[in-house]
Amino acid sequence: MDANNTSRRDFLVNTGAGLSAAALAGFVPGLTSSSAEAATFVDPLAPKPPQFPAKAKAVIWLHMNGAPSTLDLYDYKPDLIKLAGQEVPASFLKGIKTSTQGGVGKIKATNRTWKQYGQSGAWFSDWLPNLAKRADDIAFIKSSVTVGATHNISILKLNTGDVVPGRPALGAWVTYALGSNNADLPAYVVLSSGGRGLEGGSVNYGSGFLPAVYQGTPFRLGDSPILNLDRPELTTAAQQRDNLDLLKKLNEHHATRYPDDTELQARIRSYELAYRMETTAPEAVDLSKESDATKELYGIGEKETNDYGTNLLRARRLIERGVRFVHVVSGEANGVRDWDAHNDIEKNHSAQAKAVDKPIAALLADLKAHGLLESTLVVWTSEFGRTSYGQSGTGRDHNPWGYTQWFAGGGSAAGTTYGATDAIGLQIADKNQAVDTYDVHATLLQLLGLDHLKTIFINKGRSERPTVVFGKVIKELIA
Amino acid sequence: MKKAAGVQGIPSMKKKIVVAVFMGITALASFAADEKPAGEAAAAPADAKPAAAAADTKTFPLGQGPTWAYQPVKVPATPAVQQKKWVRTPIDAFILAQLEAKGLKPSREADKAVFIRRATLDAWGLIPTPEEVKAFVSDKSPNAYEKLVDRLLASPRYGERQARRWLDLARYADSAGFTNDETRANAYRYRDYVIKAFNEDKPYDQFIREQLAGDELAPNSQESLVATGFLRYYPDDSNSRDLVQRKFLTTTNMVDTLGTVFLAQSVECGRCHNHKSDKFSQKEYYQLQAFFANSNADDAIPVKIKGEVETQFEQESAKWQEASKKARDALTKFASPYLEAAEKYNKERFFEDTRVSLFKPKEQWDAHDRWINQRYENNLGDDDTGWLGKVGLVGGYITYLYESAEDKDKKAEYKGLQDQFRKLSNAIKKFDNLKPARGSTAISAITELGHPDAPATHVRFSGIHDKLLDEVQPDFPALYNPSKAKPQIFPTATSSGRRTALANWIASPDNPLTSRVIANRIWEQHFGRGIVATVSDFGKAGDRPTHPELLDYLADNFVKEGWSVKKLHRQIFLSSVYRQSSDNREDAAKADSQNKLLAVFPRQRLEAEQIRDSLLLASGLLVEKVGGPSVLPPVPAVLTAGGRALWKADEDAKDQNRRSLYIFTRRSVPYPLLEVFDGASSQIVHSRRDVTTTPLQALTLVNNDLVYKWSQNLAGRVIKEGGGKETAELDRLFQILYARSPDKFEKEAALAFLGNHEKVIKQQLSTGKLAISIPAGLTDTQAADPVRLAAFVDLAHTLANTNEFTYRY
Repeated sequence: MDANNTSRRDFLVNTGAGLSAAALAGFVPGLTSSSAEAATFVDPLAPKPPQFPAKAKAVIWLHMNGAPSTLDLYDYKPDLIKLAGQEVPASFLKGIKTSTQGGVGKIKATNRTWKQYGQSGAWFSDWLPNLAKRADDIAFIKSSVTVGATHNISILKLNTGDVVPGRPALGAWVTYALGSNNADLPAYVVLSSGGRGLEGGSVNYGSGFLPAVYQGTPFRLGDSPILNLDRPELTTAAQQRDNLDLLKKLNEHHATRYPDDTELQARIRSYELAYRMETTAPEAVDLSKESDATKELYGIGEKETNDYGTNLLRARRLIERGVRFVHVVSGEANGVRDWDAHNDIEKNHSAQAKAVDKPIAALLADLKAHGLLESTLVVWTSEFGRTSYGQSGTGRDHNPWGYTQWFAGGGSAAGTTYGATDAIGLQIADKNQAVDTYDVHATLLQLLGLDHLKTIFINKGRSERPTVVFGKVIKELIA
Repeated sequence: MKKAAGVQGIPSMKKKIVVAVFMGITALASFAADEKPAGEAAAAPADAKPAAAAADTKTFPLGQGPTWAYQPVKVPATPAVQQKKWVRTPIDAFILAQLEAKGLKPSREADKAVFIRRATLDAWGLIPTPEEVKAFVSDKSPNAYEKLVDRLLASPRYGERQARRWLDLARYADSAGFTNDETRANAYRYRDYVIKAFNEDKPYDQFIREQLAGDELAPNSQESLVATGFLRYYPDDSNSRDLVQRKFLTTTNMVDTLGTVFLAQSVECGRCHNHKSDKFSQKEYYQLQAFFANSNADDAIPVKIKGEVETQFEQESAKWQEASKKARDALTKFASPYLEAAEKYNKERFFEDTRVSLFKPKEQWDAHDRWINQRYENNLGDDDTGWLGKVGLVGGYITYLYESAEDKDKKAEYKGLQDQFRKLSNAIKKFDNLKPARGSTAISAITELGHPDAPATHVRFSGIHDKLLDEVQPDFPALYNPSKAKPQIFPTATSSGRRTALANWIASPDNPLTSRVIANRIWEQHFGRGIVATVSDFGKAGDRPTHPELLDYLADNFVKEGWSVKKLHRQIFLSSVYRQSSDNREDAAKADSQNKLLAVFPRQRLEAEQIRDSLLLASGLLVEKVGGPSVLPPVPAVLTAGGRALWKADEDAKDQNRRSLYIFTRRSVPYPLLEVFDGASSQIVHSRRDVTTTPLQALTLVNNDLVYKWSQNLAGRVIKEGGGKETAELDRLFQILYARSPDKFEKEAALAFLGNHEKVIKQQLSTGKLAISIPAGLTDTQAADPVRLAAFVDLAHTLANTNEFTYRY
């Protein structure tokens, strides 16, 4: 959050307004109607055109917290079953630094049934029976790689592009570049459902060196998603309205002494926006108007899927209302707090897969039914995958050398697969097809009509971009 | 600049990228000329010539040219001006000269009441009381301003306010960061050291030396050891299995922090490659790192001087120890047969190059092994359930045995052990409520563990920690070192002496950056904008100074005045520039739209702490007590850290109502009330406070229960102090919040509001919702019509939400 930069100050200043004026005005696209304001306001959250025609307008970023074993979900490896119980042949371990205690265990297969689905013939294990039916909506990346062996570090890299805190999250970059389509809601929303939440905390959805208006706003489960959204206990709506009317009167009286001060004017308006948000934010997450069938589709009301399903249905509603980036962190399921199956992967993944399978399948179907899938990019992502060899006998260790993630919707290449892992799913098969987190970011931005090399913010004299000094667009992932 | 350590493969060189003007704002394009896009930052070979090398030979006027900041500080002549009477201090002459050159006149003097509110907020971070305002306004003596400023600077509140700004720079927190985000119970001592340093007006050069090398300079001084907290409180990941990488990242954090804070240089660029715009090589970066090669964190240095906090901690701790003794002994007894194996198991979980050091017998340790083992040991106790230490490892070990057992009987046996361990641990947890909630008897410091030999430092290929290139020795970067000083390194029996050499160089009058950087930071505190706007970047990519002579005058005078921060503040407070009114002036706005020349005093939104602390003060609830362990105000239950509740709030309201800088800083979860008003991030150096204006801020001030409670108290206070007359109450309310009386319009608006609001509230009562909020702190005798009182609460609450309250003018 180093605010020491000239760029935003100057770009705002050169248009005649201070940062804060613009920042506040940011929440009022279209409200800068008077000519005086129009001349001065630079609205950091007003919708901005993409750099080139975009396929996607919005993103739902599904972070599988704790790192699932995609070997047991998507990446079918007959050799894993064949070689189960044996030592990992040395050839598979070449070039990787294994670390944790016990070193490399024996090759492990889980007790899954595998089948191919859809026209694309994509493989799914029986842990994802519902999602399997959406096979043809999905563009698989089976050659994902990343850095790191601990969750928080790799999650930070997944979300911000660096292994130390301080950079903006991807959602903040997108919001910075494209603005918001709804002034009455935050542009970048974070949803999580219990468990450990987002490891490492708010740095994962922070704005880093970008202005704070671009940071993610966490929404809680329950009726009142944002902190301080509810009126004080003994204040009625009429009372608050009366208070705000007086506030406006006094602020405007005071502003006559500073007629050119757009920042003060912006702050006056922020109270009207806040007042509206008291209604719009709960409405956005209020599922009572959704049909029973829709709720059932998402698994709402069923114990295992209720929380995650609720968040995904909320995600759809937020996207519908113009929210730009919804960042969903998977949570606790059946007493299992995340996907981190160092032991008893059967129990862990049964619970976690159950929690997300039906809701994600529902999300894809529902977005499609609403005509939103083609403009909404849904990303299944995780900080890393898990090893082909076992750990503690019943689990799997962390694997940053080869795992699966996927895109769906938003102009991604539905029904395709890019890249592959080796015969046991430990490392990617072809180094030239490696897809690092930076490449995922670059490709996602491309779909949003943004060149990751030209999405730039000057910080401390350096042109920063979302992909740091890395990143390539994976063209095969784009339809 | 920054780059993921250990990234495999080097990305291909990108073509030069033109800055995109995608936001549709043409002004952005003006950066393109001078900038090197990040895309070019891919690993440059270590021997490449720095980009700016060629540009240096030209000479530029003071403050211009790419290397202005590295020229020795000059003693500029005070410029001649026409409006001589306006000049109170040399500062005014420098400012006025540029105004006159533009044909601008300075603004009139601000009203005295406006001035005292402004100065009190700047010096203390608090609004003044009506009595303070009245005393100043009615003080007609010629030295009224001097008396006021001296009073402000002499108050301990001054140190609290200054400390907060310094803690921003020191990326201060009470926790370690990352997933586990453990409490650092000793951190508050560093915070208190900073407060004390500012209050005592510790010379800034000494302040630097103590923070960078206190352990070497005065190893027996507790204060000096605590001062090294500046270095020690880097964010750290206790869960890391790669301690070799940790050493690199730790050193990196210390060097990058000091480069930003003291020198305003983006030294971090040198981590991966030669600096793209400044003549600063990758080698020189690692030479800076070499000063820290032997720097270890030690969190277990016993406190020498025990105070109230330590005594209380010991007493509470003794109670817990006594109560839990039997239970702890039982666990220790159970665990001891497994201790050795558990520790071995634990060490095996680290990366191979870490394991080499962990398994080496102590007598064979070299300086590097020493560091790795210190990090390992120091961390064992670094947990919220710290006492367990090595015993705690047994739990993990048994779980591992159980989970990896394939034999059924073995599995059953280990399950039994697991259950026993759990049972015995739970028996101890029963006594957790007796544990001291805060405080400690230890201090944390950076030390060299009694060894003068330092491990080697190497240039890292592309900043990757285990890709070692040439070994380097400590040296100062040539660019920042016009006097061509050489490090004077004198190892002592217990330390390498390296950091002392570095500290002496930074804290030297010959260093061209140090005094300019701090003078500029202090200027920025008063005027919201530095003479160099990029307060932490004096490099080529940063801004040029708007008033280079003034900056050099301030820097030079600062050193001459004994590096006194207070004297520098005093001079600024007493200048005519600072006394100006902030009233709107069209002529000035036209001639100088950004107000760089300061023809008008720049009004500013209060910082997060100023808002909270001033509201508390206005409500009469602020509890003023300097220092001590951080406090835990209530937080929404939804906020968690590492899956646990963020913290259990203090029961005593006195603790909840302390000044904001005493609120516990949990790195992973910023305190919402401060965060929403652009509070400092504790992740990295926070150089400037942003000002953003958002609906979430409005929601906070309107709806937050605490803020509303403060308004109830404010209303109660005003009614008590108003003597039963509504107009007096109204006047009092305005005096408290704005340091002025209401004008006619405001008086009428407020009274009309009270009348109408009574009706609104009565309507609420008639709908059967009986409860209404009334002012807090009133006794029965003062009870008036409760509906009118409830309306008055809302009036107070609304007045506390205005722009006038939230800004200083």
